[in-house]
Amino acid sequence: MATLSLPTSGTGTPRVLKSRAAGKLLLLALFAAVLAPWAATHWPGAAWPHALTVSLDKPLATASNWVIDNRDSHPLFLYFFGYVSNAVVLSVRAVYVTLLAAGWTGVTVLGALVAWRVAGVRLAAGTAIAFLACGALGMWVPTMQTLALMVVAVLASALVGAVLGLAAGLSDRLDRALRPVLDTMQVLPAFAYLLPVVLVFGIGVPAAVLATVVYAAPPMARLTALGLRGADPEVLEAVESLGATRRQRLLTARIPLARGELLLGLNQTIMMALSMAVIAAVIGAGGLGDRVYQALASVDVGQALAAGIPIVLLAIVLDRVTAAAGAGTGDTRTRAIGWPYALAVTAAVALAARLLGRLDWPTGWTLDIAAPVNHAVDWMTNHLYSGVPVIGGTADWAGHFTTWILDPVRGGLQWLPWWSVLLIVAALAWSIGTWRTALTAVLAMAAIGVLGVWGPALDTLSQVLAAVAVTLVLGLATGIAAARSERVERALRPVLDVFQTMPQFVYLIPVVALFGVGRAPAVAAAVVYALPAVVRITAQGLRQVDPAALESARSLGATGRQQLWQIQLPLARRSLLLAVNQGVVLVLAVVIIGGLVGGGALGYNVAFGLAQGDLATGLVAGAAIVCLGLMLDRVTQPTQRRTTKGA
Amino acid sequence: MAFTVPTRKPPTTTEPVFSVSGLWKVFGPKPERIPADPELSTLEPADLRARTGCTAAVRDVSFDVRKGEVFVVMGLSGSGKSTLVRCLTRLIEPTAGTIAIDGEDVRAMDKGRLRELRRHRAAMVFQHFGLLPHRTVLDNVAYGLEIQGVGKSERRERAAEVVAKVGLEGMEQRRPGQLSGGQRQRVGLARALAVDPEVLLFDEPFSALDPLIRRDMQDEVVRLHREEGRTMVFITHDLTEALKLGDRIALMRDGRVVQLGTPEEIVGSPADDYVREFVRDVPREQVMTCRTAMRPAAADDTANGPAVSPQATVAEAIEAVARAGAPARVMDEGRCLGVVDHEQLLDVVAGVTTLTPAAAVDADDAPEAAPGKPRRANPPAPRTSPEDAAPTTPEAV
Repeated sequence: MATLSLPTSGTGTPRVLKSRAAGKLLLLALFAAVLAPWAATHWPGAAWPHALTVSLDKPLATASNWVIDNRDSHPLFLYFFGYVSNAVVLSVRAVYVTLLAAGWTGVTVLGALVAWRVAGVRLAAGTAIAFLACGALGMWVPTMQTLALMVVAVLASALVGAVLGLAAGLSDRLDRALRPVLDTMQVLPAFAYLLPVVLVFGIGVPAAVLATVVYAAPPMARLTALGLRGADPEVLEAVESLGATRRQRLLTARIPLARGELLLGLNQTIMMALSMAVIAAVIGAGGLGDRVYQALASVDVGQALAAGIPIVLLAIVLDRVTAAAGAGTGDTRTRAIGWPYALAVTAAVALAARLLGRLDWPTGWTLDIAAPVNHAVDWMTNHLYSGVPVIGGTADWAGHFTTWILDPVRGGLQWLPWWSVLLIVAALAWSIGTWRTALTAVLAMAAIGVLGVWGPALDTLSQVLAAVAVTLVLGLATGIAAARSERVERALRPVLDVFQTMPQFVYLIPVVALFGVGRAPAVAAAVVYALPAVVRITAQGLRQVDPAALESARSLGATGRQQLWQIQLPLARRSLLLAVNQGVVLVLAVVIIGGLVGGGALGYNVAFGLAQGDLATGLVAGAAIVCLGLMLDRVTQPTQRRTTKGA
Repeated sequence: MAFTVPTRKPPTTTEPVFSVSGLWKVFGPKPERIPADPELSTLEPADLRARTGCTAAVRDVSFDVRKGEVFVVMGLSGSGKSTLVRCLTRLIEPTAGTIAIDGEDVRAMDKGRLRELRRHRAAMVFQHFGLLPHRTVLDNVAYGLEIQGVGKSERRERAAEVVAKVGLEGMEQRRPGQLSGGQRQRVGLARALAVDPEVLLFDEPFSALDPLIRRDMQDEVVRLHREEGRTMVFITHDLTEALKLGDRIALMRDGRVVQLGTPEEIVGSPADDYVREFVRDVPREQVMTCRTAMRPAAADDTANGPAVSPQATVAEAIEAVARAGAPARVMDEGRCLGVVDHEQLLDVVAGVTTLTPAAAVDADDAPEAAPGKPRRANPPAPRTSPEDAAPTTPEAV
């Protein structure tokens, strides 16, 4: 594709311009010189011209009302969505009842035995401790609610994803059709998925499960297709040369060879499902996410933390166990126990607990951390928020950040004429990618204007830009340090591992404790969320630089600084671009969620639409989020994209 | 399977196992027009690419593979040899030409028939082994039988026999990842042997191996061929390997066969400068036979001097002549065919001989060139086994 991008510029560019990027920019400048004065005279003013907007409020409200009116009568709902909804409710209910019937002892023992079976003794102990901690924090029932929803959503996502992946892996045409869709779905913030589902299913468990499935199925589909396509061609040829039929080839070679990717896909699906299951609290998922949501709504950090810790523990346990299952290639050591044995032990323990009447978590065993945490937060509010000599308080920092960085960036963006914003988007996207990506980016940005949410979108964009800038400065510096020093890397690795597995929602808790509510905390949460991925990609990219090139530089007597600037950074350019891309995508996801803690802008519109039942506002904001995500991804997209993303 | 045949079985008949004629494989848009168009088909590769965007990997290749012989296709990378061998079982679909196995048209086969061909009649050994990493050695070897639908216990039993035959006893339960390169290729070889195919196809099987391991594996192939007499098509880019293993060699360049003949013909009378350049550094005395080097016997030569067989290499004759201090007689079934003395032998070593017309006949017309092929064991290896020394008559030693 990259080589095909030139012909369009071949008409206007003189041959003296050797640099391709310069040629593109010159062409764009010519284009702008013609169109900008015309646009400026037709539609004066910086904001998106009102004449160019299309108000979707009325049709969307009509659609939404139609759905509400017809939900109980129209055949589409009666014979399709109704069944889907009922099936989801029934299966979640069934899993939930089963979990409760197993009691806390049964669930803990089963979890530990499964972990033991697939990942060894240490993770089994970790799993047991995590479950017990959930109980001890008084969150056993919400944990089981979240777990029940997760089990159903993960099974459905894995099934849907595997089927789509199988189709894309076996058919080139389907692969071409599905790949851009899956790629795009993976860069969209979770919040954008909520409203369309709510429109059809209303607020409740079915909507939550389906939103989770839609969000979590793409990685499974992508990795399944990747695994099937990535099989060693010589092995497949050897299998074919022995006269295998298509079916034999698929079952005995392609699927077993893709085992690693399949399990990685499952791992990512589980992590994304957890992330979404927590966020889906705002559309009625219940469980742990709901506790966090309610607590954050009343700025009760203690309660939020009590519900947040089980989420983090669940995330870490699920990630480690599934990752271990993927890494272990049938090692005999971990096969200490068989499945029937594990099930029998679980049943025996659950039965014993039931006979002893200890099915529910004992009330005396809970540890109330909410009160002491709130106490600590109060102390922090009183002592650290502001007025600390020399360094100032956290609220002061947040205030300064807002007035000195966020406000000027937002002001600047809103001061820029709308057409110049489009031009900047085009220039950025084209200089780094192809004319296709540039066109997509410009169209996405223009769509935001047409939807009539230009103002809030620029507000969101200003937060994203500020957060990305901070993330990149911190992340690249840390990444370089980690790449250059083994010790820093060893120290960072466990921290990054934990941070990369935590669901987005959880990051809101500490920032609210530290900075209160507002735009600055949303940006802070976004920075913390995106940082690990940026650090990791940067460090990996620098470490993967051809050692021969580095060695030759060293042999010529290059200093460490020269090696970094002249060898490592230029050769790791692709990874650095990828780090920027991932940073932008991850930051956007959390900035949007920041609407729940006072971030305002598009995220607030979605939350408002959900809370007030004003689906039109919410859907328009959701569509704008999709466009913004698409634009930001295309603007920062290196020509080749990587397959995985931190969940 | 006759495992116990002590000496190398000469090809019993001249009937071809594979018969290939006018074979083309063209990659690119609308490939079928290239072979059909006499103007396009004669273009040089670069011109063809510039004009049509197509690459002809195999260009108008014809040859027969006779039953029981080792047919080597040799060429540098990009010469089309790997494509050629894949065309034989249609792992790559040929563009034009005919391929017949035992007289049956391979290109006309339907899917089921083609599968039968791949399952039972031709098995392939790959450069990078192509093993299934999630299976044990035994199950990898049994894989071909599993594909055929052979029951578990029977295929494991048969696989175990073949595993033992290639010298991997005790490693049945390992996985390919735990084996060395040479061992992995033994598994690949065993997998191909397990289905008891009529023809073994080798696609540069040893080029990914270390030199010493490679020599072991070559000896293994020589041993297997001697024991079983199975027809083999062997692709290689290594001239030494080709000369060591091949009964006949087809030398490829840019998709064409530039010369087809016995190793002796390739080395002794290169068809063009390309082949001459190719074989320049070959130790000729290890390849050329006395039949080629001899002169007609004069009246005074008949009685004295050591006797050598016509298939003995010049190197062996040199040794015999040097020991006896007299010209050697080339004896075939008690008949004296000719004489080699210092002059002829030195000519061969110096490379100044041209083949006599009698020996320069085209290989296709001279089936007797193949039987009893001299054992040109690889030059550095000492001859230890009795079979290797057999062509030399006792009095020569």
